[in-house]
Amino acid sequence: MTGRVCRGCGGTDIELDAARGDAVCTGCGSVLEDNIIVSEVQFVENSGGGSSAVGQFVSLDGAGKAPTLGGGFHVNLGKESRAQTLQNGRRQIHHLGSQLQLNQHCLDTAFNFFKMAVSKHLTRGRKMAHVIAACLYLVCRTEGTPRILWFGPGGGPQLGLVNVYVLGKTFLLLARELCINAPAIDPCLYIPRFAHLLEFGDKNHEVSMTALRLLQRMKRDWMHTGRRPSGLCGAALLVAARMHDFRRTVKEVISVVKVCESTLRKRLTEFEDTPTSQLTVDEFMKIDLEGECDPPSYTAGQKKLRMKQLERVLSKQLEEVEGEISSYQDAIEIELENSRPKAKGALASLTKDGSVEDTTSSVFGEEDAEDEELEAAASHLNKDFYRELLGGGLPGSSEAAGGPEGRGRPPALESLLGPLPTAASLGISDSIRECISSQSRDPKDACGDGELDLSGIDDLEIDRYILNEAEARVKAELWTRENAEYLREQREKEARIAKERELGIYKEHKPKKSCKRREPIQASTAGEAIEKMLEQKKISSKINYSVLRDLDSKAGAGLPREDARPEEQAPAEEQAPAKKLPRRKTSASRSGAGSGTSVGKRLRPMVSPQLAKKVAVGEALLPSPSSLEAEPGGPTAVVVESGPVSYHPEEDADEEDADEEDGEPCVSALQMMGGDDYGCDGDEDDGY
Amino acid sequence: MTPMTPVSECPGIVPQLQNIVSTVNLACQLDLKKIALHAKNAEYNPKRFAAVIMRIREPRTTALIFSSGKMVCTGAKSEEQSRLAARKYARVVQKLGFPARFLDFKIQNMVGSCDVRFPIRLEGLVLTHQQFSSYEPELFPGLIYRMVKPRIVLLIFVSGKVVLTDYVNLDFFIGAKERSEIYEAFENIYPILKGFKKT
Repeated sequence: MTGRVCRGCGGTDIELDAARGDAVCTGCGSVLEDNIIVSEVQFVENSGGGSSAVGQFVSLDGAGKAPTLGGGFHVNLGKESRAQTLQNGRRQIHHLGSQLQLNQHCLDTAFNFFKMAVSKHLTRGRKMAHVIAACLYLVCRTEGTPRILWFGPGGGPQLGLVNVYVLGKTFLLLARELCINAPAIDPCLYIPRFAHLLEFGDKNHEVSMTALRLLQRMKRDWMHTGRRPSGLCGAALLVAARMHDFRRTVKEVISVVKVCESTLRKRLTEFEDTPTSQLTVDEFMKIDLEGECDPPSYTAGQKKLRMKQLERVLSKQLEEVEGEISSYQDAIEIELENSRPKAKGALASLTKDGSVEDTTSSVFGEEDAEDEELEAAASHLNKDFYRELLGGGLPGSSEAAGGPEGRGRPPALESLLGPLPTAASLGISDSIRECISSQSRDPKDACGDGELDLSGIDDLEIDRYILNEAEARVKAELWTRENAEYLREQREKEARIAKERELGIYKEHKPKKSCKRREPIQASTAGEAIEKMLEQKKISSKINYSVLRDLDSKAGAGLPREDARPEEQAPAEEQAPAKKLPRRKTSASRSGAGSGTSVGKRLRPMVSPQLAKKVAVGEALLPSPSSLEAEPGGPTAVVVESGPVSYHPEEDADEEDADEEDGEPCVSALQMMGGDDYGCDGDEDDGY
Repeated sequence: MTPMTPVSECPGIVPQLQNIVSTVNLACQLDLKKIALHAKNAEYNPKRFAAVIMRIREPRTTALIFSSGKMVCTGAKSEEQSRLAARKYARVVQKLGFPARFLDFKIQNMVGSCDVRFPIRLEGLVLTHQQFSSYEPELFPGLIYRMVKPRIVLLIFVSGKVVLTDYVNLDFFIGAKERSEIYEAFENIYPILKGFKKT
């Protein structure tokens, strides 16, 4: 014997049964260990005369029962769920992996990834199918047996029903969390597979070689960066097939490679643009051109840039021509203006606001475009104004503004010209605002009181955004028509809520609170730990915590009592352990045989008579659930059980359903058994 | 921790800001239906989304206005413009009869872009900067580079265009970002990209 101490009675007489793998206390009968792993091999004789070894098979996944049942049953429940998840995942991985024709090693690796993912809680909130697929894909990537993300030979539909970006997202997350760097895909790896699917017969190898060569050429021409490998493979295979006189149409290639027709054509066009495409078939097989092309997106970008530059140059030339015309106009206006001195005062006030009559700079809100002459003169004055500012150096935020920086003239002309260089005038007005109204910046910052700072906002402009009466009515009509269904649903919902409220059964749907992470409890003694845990978890209002605390301090009657109490409270999920206890008391009074055998190795707390009294009193003080009202204090009812507590909810439920002792007179089980502490031996014997 | 970068010369290229997302609290309950029916440029489809989508032309921005009084403003090209636009929206709401205020204006996200003018070898970049980069041609043609300091995500494309932003498809993002961070990030990445320039 191992010399252990029984947890129930404290006895040291423990019997080990190797055949069953049990460790049982002979004093109180509690099972201390189950499924003991032994290293001895025993044989038993069969009826036929042969002998077989004694033992049990334990699954590799650890899906069997945990070795010790005494450690708190709720832990066991959690583990079972985890084990179930792993089992389920393993099954799905095997199912999917066999369709993809992956070998066992890959599947095991995938399962390991899955286990890691589960332990990091990555499966929460995600479909299991996605996580499984991501694990399998990760294995493929790391092993170098390439699988395209949404398609595998023969395994298409299962994975294909999922959006590839959703899968990709899961895969990326998995790779990041597991800190696994999957090497980038090389399109060359896919060629053999696709070539096989295209059925080139004897010349399969040659066509593959040609396609590989084409692909390498594409790589050197920077066509493969940022592109899906399947598109490139499709293009390479198509050309290779044609080179070897195979008539493979675009449609056939697409059905194998699973890209869009336009993508394939685009790849072919891009390849056409490279100098290699000019070679003949034989030349291509022998010669390797030296130069490398730029990636197609880069060349396209450069072209666009050049087009824009051309446009700008053209528009500038246009401006120049127009500018010359307007300069003559200006000169004429100046002459006119000189004959009207008094207008200058008004103009000065206008220019101070930096008004440009264009709507683009209506930020300042001066839209007095009544007088064209005034306009022209104003713009002329602005011209000088701008020139001064431009001397200070404007931040050339827009390209067009760069133009005016070079010459002092165009800004005013652009404003005359109107909408064309809106960016330019905007850029300038920005800088003007900065230069002139720098002090207006402070009120913007000092908005601490929350009042809306109206500086820089034109009321007229805002009014333009608001509909008048008639328009509002029309819009309201349209809107109600559009959203009639939604409004109807809302009305029905409100009617339903009002009705439920009347009936008093309306449940407020509270928004789901995310579960907060609880920090581990740190306590010096077990009692303190229990107290803290109880505080945190707030198990039940029906527990008299003061009684609980007193228990710890009370001496005598030894360990079992204290152990029994905390262990009772330990299964935190139980709503009202106190509720359970009276049930057990009375159930023990009945023939415990039924309960003893039906649940196998159930363990029940042992409570000494005095303690039971105390507990019962404590419970009597609590508001007991309605079903127990019938039961009076019952101070003398005793639960005589052995071993630590293990509350198994289903068993309790069964037990409660079975019991109907509401009207039963409270007779102490002890009395019924004959007033012996160990009177339950009768029950236990029945069980065993 | 950033990888070792050689001494870099000033590239002379400045990232341009393309989009700024900001939020502000108007501090009053709003009747979205009323706003939608009385504003010219507002759309409201309660079945699809629980906010009014309003647009103004100047600066060209879009705002999402929620019934709690919170508002999101996007599309501006500079911080000042974003603030101005947000104030304009608040003014519109005020004019429609609600006691709107302007509390807690905060810039949430900035997006900048620039062009380094040479093609970049993305495969090489992902090999050497494995812990920062993620390159999946099947999913996205660009390389996603997550810089640690400053905490910016860069999308690098083979054509040499770079997009700098705060978050890419993550489930959270860090708070307000400064324009200087975008510039700093670009200064950091430029020498690295030069190392992978196509010869």
